[in-house]
Amino acid sequence: MTAPTLATITTKVHAGERLTADDALALFLEPDLLAIGQLANFVREKRHGDRTFFNKNMRVEVTNVCMASCLFCSFAKLEAHMPGAHTMSLDEAWRELETRMDDPPGEIHVVNGLHPGLPFSYYEELLKGYKRIKPDVHLKCFTGVEIHFFAQHYKMTVREVLDRLVLAGLDSLPGGGAEIFHPDVRKRISDDKATGDEWLEVHRVAHAMGLRSNATMLYGHVETFEHRVDHLLKLRELQDETKGFQAFIPLAFHPDGNGMKNLPAPTAVDDLRTLSISRLVLDNFDHIKAYWVSSTPKIAQVALRFGADDMDGTIVHETIYHAAGSTSPQGLLYGDLVRLIREAGRTPVERDTLYNVVREFAPNEVPEGAMKVRDRKAQKHLAVLP
Amino acid sequence: MRIAAVSYLNALPLTEGLASCDDVELFEGLPVDVAVRLAEQEADVALMPVAAAALLGDVSFVRGSAIGCRGAVESVLVLAECKPSEITELALDLSSRTSVVLARLVLKARFGVTPKLIGLPSREAIGFVGGTRAAVVIGDPALEVGDRFPLKLDLGAEWFAWTGLPFVFAAWCTYPQRLSREQEGLLHHARELGLGARASIAARFAETSSLPKERLEHYLRESIRYEFGVDEQAGLQRFFDEAASAGFLPKTLVRLLDVERSRPSLPPSLDGILARGAEGKRLSVAEGERLFHEASLFDLGLAADAVRLRKHPHGVVTYIVDRNVNYTNVCTTSCRFCAFYRPVGHSEGYVLSREVLGAKLQEVVDAGGVQILLQGGLNPELPLTWYEDTFRWMKSTYGLGLHALSPEEILHLAELEKLPVRTVLERLRAAGLDSVPGGGAEILVDRVRRHIAKAKCRSDEWLGVMRTAHQMGLRSSCTMMYGTVDTPRERILHLAKLRELQDETGGFTAFFCWDYQYEKGVRLAPGENGTLTYLRTQAIGRLMLDNVDHVGASWVTQGPAVGQVALRFGADDFGSVMFEENVVSSAGTTFRMNAGTMEERIHAAGFKAARRNVRYDWLTTPV
Repeated sequence: MTAPTLATITTKVHAGERLTADDALALFLEPDLLAIGQLANFVREKRHGDRTFFNKNMRVEVTNVCMASCLFCSFAKLEAHMPGAHTMSLDEAWRELETRMDDPPGEIHVVNGLHPGLPFSYYEELLKGYKRIKPDVHLKCFTGVEIHFFAQHYKMTVREVLDRLVLAGLDSLPGGGAEIFHPDVRKRISDDKATGDEWLEVHRVAHAMGLRSNATMLYGHVETFEHRVDHLLKLRELQDETKGFQAFIPLAFHPDGNGMKNLPAPTAVDDLRTLSISRLVLDNFDHIKAYWVSSTPKIAQVALRFGADDMDGTIVHETIYHAAGSTSPQGLLYGDLVRLIREAGRTPVERDTLYNVVREFAPNEVPEGAMKVRDRKAQKHLAVLP
Repeated sequence: MRIAAVSYLNALPLTEGLASCDDVELFEGLPVDVAVRLAEQEADVALMPVAAAALLGDVSFVRGSAIGCRGAVESVLVLAECKPSEITELALDLSSRTSVVLARLVLKARFGVTPKLIGLPSREAIGFVGGTRAAVVIGDPALEVGDRFPLKLDLGAEWFAWTGLPFVFAAWCTYPQRLSREQEGLLHHARELGLGARASIAARFAETSSLPKERLEHYLRESIRYEFGVDEQAGLQRFFDEAASAGFLPKTLVRLLDVERSRPSLPPSLDGILARGAEGKRLSVAEGERLFHEASLFDLGLAADAVRLRKHPHGVVTYIVDRNVNYTNVCTTSCRFCAFYRPVGHSEGYVLSREVLGAKLQEVVDAGGVQILLQGGLNPELPLTWYEDTFRWMKSTYGLGLHALSPEEILHLAELEKLPVRTVLERLRAAGLDSVPGGGAEILVDRVRRHIAKAKCRSDEWLGVMRTAHQMGLRSSCTMMYGTVDTPRERILHLAKLRELQDETGGFTAFFCWDYQYEKGVRLAPGENGTLTYLRTQAIGRLMLDNVDHVGASWVTQGPAVGQVALRFGADDFGSVMFEENVVSSAGTTFRMNAGTMEERIHAAGFKAARRNVRYDWLTTPV
């Protein structure tokens, strides 16, 4: 068996054959970024043409108190009494939605620290409250790590946790907390929360219940390319089994203000390479997301040519990446997203969380209330919501 | 019908009859202006030199009339005191592209010489002749020259001896959809009138010329031929083929208007254009425009990367440690896209004091920097002596390279002091000026400039300052700010104009482009830009500017992340470590990078990094 080359990999991709771990590793070591991008773009356009998905969503982080002490995190405050630690009251958390009911999000994405002092009912009430305010809002809440924590902390099985949350209104799981599955890495960067296998198990259970979820990979810190490949293959394996993942989102490590602040952040070239390779390796994932909060909106635009078909959403008020020094805006306007996608030469498609089409944009159609390019007066280059 | 034509004596027999026609608007000017009029759709048909037609790339030729010769032409000569095979230097009017290309082809093919080119107007070029120095002399001076020089090569005769074909200097060029059959008929009609009026044209011209009427009439009747038939077409195609294989002109097909109307020829394949571009061959405006509209991001990136690799096979990306100092924000031009300037008398207007300037320069020295980039507004309160004093003081105190004053500022000083541009540049150089930044070019098409920066110089003025600077041995960069009201074709024309001047002077070191950085409150709304457009535009810049050595990634406007990715789209330079920059950052764009971070990003993109000076010499060993 000879070592894979760009040529053998290209042949495989064009034939629709599955890439091996060796292929994936060869791609990480391949200097020709554009060749990889072009291959990923081929797959992306075969699956989706120019269509590029986004949604109207809202991030809420109700607490940054966290028992885990992940080296890469600049968000969590370990204990409730520490300066900067904050836990929203339910009223506060609900207000995030209430105040936006004139132009409500279709999805609320809740991600939190692992707070040891809250009753489980807090989370149930949180979800119920959101559904009370907007019955059709989609609740994409709690990472696999949080679900695992709930099970341990409140002494339930993962299934029981999920059953109760679904009863309270949970609709799907976000993909966070995956980090890097490989134990050698996980031991070093986050050894006091769900292991890779435990994270995968939560998603396995969720998928079996009919819940859909996403998957992520936090790359660019202490892991090797082999670890990244291992991570992608584990996801692909579980997806073969359950088909429950919707989108994969590569997340770049940001070093500001955390336990790995001496490491350089991965650069844009690595971001695009990793995204492209994800598209090529994860042949059973429908969607690859360019998470603009992590990569900046500008690179997210480029990513739409390097394999990504999804721009995530409006987000509104992101705090986790921003604690780690992200220079992206905290939220984007609906019209900004449409424009970013358009400028990249793609066709915007507003979706709901489960990728049902909410709105197809005709070529050159400008959303109502969005800035027309020529008379865009009110917005700075990319608007930041208050 | 809007007609543009070169304003030469030998064109009059084709154009004179048109002046009396109804509904004809006749513009007469220099070859470049005529070509630009046709390209910018300000003319429906243009009588222009064939080299300019090749530059546009997609024009159709009107059958029937042209300006050419079959054998001796008398008005396009090479003069020397040595044998043709001994010529080492050749002075010529570089703006007369067709004769330049013809001279180079003939000297190479017939005599095996490739002399060094020296740009000079024809009258001055004559004075250059001596020893092994020769000159191409065209127009009136050629007709007047007589037998003063031992060597007088008539390029029309040489071409005929070489190829056995007529030569075509200029022809009617248009596009099938732009010129109707009736209008075409009008051109033929005018030709008949004009050919009959050659005697009177000669008589009239003789009044202001040193040449007698008979001589001029002989020239118009015997030397110049106004046919454009099968032989002329063959001669023209041969010229295009020879010029393309020598790399002087884009690959060009002689398309005929009547044929194009009924059976349009297929455009060249996109792959063919990309392959030629990747090989460093010259691309026409039409080809550049097609790349803009049709080539994929990856095709452009790969082709531009191939050019980068061939020009810089060592895999090194350079950067410079310097500082942008904006000495004043007071400015009289009030450009609609600018957030930096303040009008005269405004409370926020400033001129930096020596104390402040000195502190800034000292920081550059302390950081191991090599130069400052000094630019500012057009402040009417600062005379030339202020610049001279400031430059001398900076040079003697800090010893940094002085990359200063864009063409706009030079022109402003020339106007303020009522001095020629050359004198201003000479005085500034004597005071310490080392090189000229290429800012303020925006888009070198006057339609765009009138819209976005009414008070700014015209494109030929901008190019004129650069020409003068280059002729004096000052190097400069060149830039493009796109994304206001410019069309893709105008962006390509901009690049073609830079390329044209570069052919002439070789003075441009590097090309940088960026999109218009919009800020709230500025009066000019942005076009649809985006990051992909940036990467595509930079790649197209790399492909079009085959004669410019370096392309820099504008990370200051695009951000470090996109700047890094741009290194894979044809750039071999990462620009400057940024201490401060005020103009773009007034428009809300603020990015910072230090040398360490720059090198990290260069490495992560797969290159070695080296510091450079303004001439792009490496100052450090690449690592």
